[in-house]
Amino acid sequence: MLLNNITFRLAWRNLWRQPRRTLLTLGAMVFANIILVCMISLQFGMYGLMIDNTLSMLTGHLKVLALNYKDDGKIRQSIDEAETLARQLRNDLNRLKNKNFEGESAANNDTEGENNSVKIAVRGKAFALASSEDRSFGILVMGVEPEHEPQVSSIPGLIQRGRYLSDSKAEEIVIGSVLARNLQVDLDDEITLIGSGHDGSFAAAVITVVGITQSGMTDLDRSIAQMPLQLFQETFAMGNGAHEIVIRAPDLSDVEEISIRAQRLLDDRPSLVLHDWDDLEPGLKQSIQADLFSAWFMYGVLITLVAFSVLNTMLMSVLERTREFGIVMSLGLTPGRLGRLVILETAIMGVLGLAAGILIGTGLVAWAGIYGITFPGMDEMGKQFNLPARIYPDLTVFQLALGPSIVFAATLLSSLWPALRLHWLEPVQAMRAAG
Amino acid sequence: MIAIIFRLAWRNLWRNNRRTLIMLVTIAVGIWAMIFMTALMRGMVNKMVRDAVKVLPGHVQIHHPDYLDDPNIVNSIEEHPDGILLQVLNGPDIVAWSSRVRVAAIISSARESRSITLLGVDPATESEVSFVAGKIVQGSFLNDGDDDGIIVGRKLTETLETGLGKRIVIMSQDPDNEIVDRGFRITGVFDANTEALEEGYVFTGVTAAQNFLGIPGRVHEVAIVGRGFRQIDGMYQAVKNAAGPNFSVLPWTELNSYLGTMLGVMDGFVLVWFMVVFLALSFGLVNTLVMAIFERVREIGLMLALGVKPMIILAQIIVESVCLLFFGALTGNLVAWLTIRPLQDGIDLSSYAEGLEMFGYSTILYPEMTVEDVFTANVVVLSLGIIASLFPAIRASRYQPVEALIKV
Amino acid sequence: MSDIRCVNLCRTFHQGDITVTGLDHVSIDIKKGEFVCLVAPSGGGKTTLLNAIGGLDKPDSGEVWIAGKRIDNMGKSALAEMRLNNIGFVFQAYNLIPVLTARENIEFVMEVQGIPAADRHRRSAAILTEVGLEGLEDRRPAKMSGGQQQRVAVARAIVAKPEIVLADEPTANLDSSSAEQLMDLFVSLNKNHNTTFVIATHDQRVMEYARRIVKMLDGRIDQDIPQDPR
Repeated sequence: MLLNNITFRLAWRNLWRQPRRTLLTLGAMVFANIILVCMISLQFGMYGLMIDNTLSMLTGHLKVLALNYKDDGKIRQSIDEAETLARQLRNDLNRLKNKNFEGESAANNDTEGENNSVKIAVRGKAFALASSEDRSFGILVMGVEPEHEPQVSSIPGLIQRGRYLSDSKAEEIVIGSVLARNLQVDLDDEITLIGSGHDGSFAAAVITVVGITQSGMTDLDRSIAQMPLQLFQETFAMGNGAHEIVIRAPDLSDVEEISIRAQRLLDDRPSLVLHDWDDLEPGLKQSIQADLFSAWFMYGVLITLVAFSVLNTMLMSVLERTREFGIVMSLGLTPGRLGRLVILETAIMGVLGLAAGILIGTGLVAWAGIYGITFPGMDEMGKQFNLPARIYPDLTVFQLALGPSIVFAATLLSSLWPALRLHWLEPVQAMRAAG
Repeated sequence: MIAIIFRLAWRNLWRNNRRTLIMLVTIAVGIWAMIFMTALMRGMVNKMVRDAVKVLPGHVQIHHPDYLDDPNIVNSIEEHPDGILLQVLNGPDIVAWSSRVRVAAIISSARESRSITLLGVDPATESEVSFVAGKIVQGSFLNDGDDDGIIVGRKLTETLETGLGKRIVIMSQDPDNEIVDRGFRITGVFDANTEALEEGYVFTGVTAAQNFLGIPGRVHEVAIVGRGFRQIDGMYQAVKNAAGPNFSVLPWTELNSYLGTMLGVMDGFVLVWFMVVFLALSFGLVNTLVMAIFERVREIGLMLALGVKPMIILAQIIVESVCLLFFGALTGNLVAWLTIRPLQDGIDLSSYAEGLEMFGYSTILYPEMTVEDVFTANVVVLSLGIIASLFPAIRASRYQPVEALIKV
Repeated sequence: MSDIRCVNLCRTFHQGDITVTGLDHVSIDIKKGEFVCLVAPSGGGKTTLLNAIGGLDKPDSGEVWIAGKRIDNMGKSALAEMRLNNIGFVFQAYNLIPVLTARENIEFVMEVQGIPAADRHRRSAAILTEVGLEGLEDRRPAKMSGGQQQRVAVARAIVAKPEIVLADEPTANLDSSSAEQLMDLFVSLNKNHNTTFVIATHDQRVMEYARRIVKMLDGRIDQDIPQDPR
């Protein structure tokens, strides 16, 4: 593009010949850009939270399950020698992982070594009737490793009263607050579990409530019941088997690589399947996609309206200069060059809109990042999607620039017609046109 | 006078037909987007609410005052309401109602067990309240309240490795917290929108359930269906007053606060969406008018010099804007109707099934274009459009004739 | 009684730092039925005086009386009403509303006055004949010559039977024969309807028709001489 001084100056001055029109057009752009910047960073902030909160609850990033357990969830579909396998995975994945990071800052590796490692825990799951003195409910009871579970799940951190499980063999249980209320039990009360074991035999245990968790999500608080893994295995005749090995990567972006390494270790056990989080929570990605889809429909409308606005402005500005263009063309300027002038004018306007939009949008988002955003109904929506009632939007260059860049592109696109029209312009006729 | 204002406005509009057409298209796109998007959203949320209401709660439920906090077998109520309550329930505002036994239980086949909610229902009334009777895919629904056959979801038959005609064992608690268990035969299998429903609920006859649990004549909830999920206030108040303080009466908006809130959020969202589209549109509208006025400052000066009152200049510009808005809106409405009509049979979204299930949405989306929404969209665009065009119009009417005449 | 009476009119314009004197203590009386030419070099104050008389512009001080009413202190609406009923304007150019046809332009003022359609049509048809524009009724301004456009403007100025017609350089954009035709039209209207004409001009051809010539210089009346028209 011709960006020498005189062309640029000409374009700039042309823009301000009609300051009100230019400002109104800019206004439309800035308005759309601000909305896009705010909405997109809010959305991505929400998606990140949704994924993180949902996965850190119970799902983890990867799970080793027996074949078909994901769909059927039967007690017989168990993993033999689960703890041994978990230990193997823990060693191998972390060794490989560390090797992978050797090239990078060693100091970083030392201080954050704990955070950077892959976390693994084993769980068993069984349905049982839980009875207190005068209440009974069917629940899904989970056997967990007290020393590993807190590393893969946020549930142990949700203890509201009492404490988390202390020992793998202790006859203890941690339950959700709603379940505790429904069973009418409190700390130190006893619960009787009745169900069927791995072999179909009768299974029963009497254990003491040592902790009560509260997440605020009724469904979760009604379903949580965790007991030590070894006690679980004894009660439900699991032997050394369990139902799932949960793997939590240091970051979402590491999942793919860890999945490949873990799969290699599982190759000799064809009865086991490695599932990633998308597999385990298909609703998560899809609900994000569905939301993105409807959001982009709305953004599309917004961008289209702005593009029309720009188109109208540029067309007007070309039409009212017909005579002027005729004169400069008769002086020897090519229509192509005039077209570029029109596009340059639009581009200047677009850049101004982009800058102002990003600036104001970023300001708003940054402000929201400090104070958080909430809206009526957020509380209930949040509970449905594992979101807090207040959202702190995410700020990355990509999210900030994405919307305004598309607006910019649409702006340039819509100046093409007015610019190309100039090729049909006949200098003599143009000069005769009413200025 | 009015005739000349309209004639001037109309002819001025078509002096620059390219600009006017672009503006018309912009307004039409805006209105279309308002109506179309809202129809989709309404379709989704309304379907979700209707499904959810149909699945279990009905529009209003009556419980023992303690039941919702402590959903235990002992917190039960009379199966057959009497007195004023019965009169209200059989009144014209209520389409159907059904009493249910509702307890938590464990269902076991020879191989597996699951925790479920056991519902004891009277098939005659229940079929008008909930979906199950119409969704039986194998066997048949219950014959009467004494029927001790059991109806389970399809997914549950798979996980329990059982099926129609097979026996399963249900284990629960009697009022004295003694474990009761009994074998039942599966006489029907139902299909539902979500797996959670198919796995979570099991139906048997109300009397059979009462006998099994040892609570003759008692139920846990009365589910009531009114004329529509949005018009429940009157019916809810009537039932609440008739039931008195010994019962807890709640509308679905409170029983499922997520759904209730969603409906409210939806209404708010529709307005916000209208405003955003309108604002994006208004810049163009004001710009077009400003340009149109700028081009004929001289003319306006001339008219003022000839003795035309400023109010008439203002009126003429407003009429111009109204014409733009009106024809743009007309086109937008028409296009919205044309695009929504072919979608009336539903849009298949099954590729997002699980994600939509998380929201509680159904996988087939039926857009709903309501008169209210279309009306609101048009009113927003027309009224705010007129307000937005006041700004350039007032400016134009304040021109000094001499200055306007001199302007080139 | 005089039709137009100006007393001690002063008007200055400010353009940035420059102050331009438009009118400097101008007093003038014009009687009903007079045919007056305001003659001055550009910037002499003739347009300013014309605008003050027509109520288009307000003097800084002094009084303007039209048909016995003082107008310099009237509000916008009242002024508009006064112009509508008492004064016809003919400007140098851009006299017509481009989206209206010749007939509609002529009827415009009457329509705003609220005169019934039948009456309007009768009068516009008559006036079109009087100014010699039969057959051009349905043309828009863009399709007419400068002379024709000015005649439409004159027709519009007189159709509502105003007492006064103010014309600002009406012949500036016209060739000799068109200018002559226009002036003949003015004179005949002046005679037939006893309409007062005040014409600002520096066109020699126009001055020849006047019965009174008011020469202005630097915002003051320099000479006020009666003359025998051609």
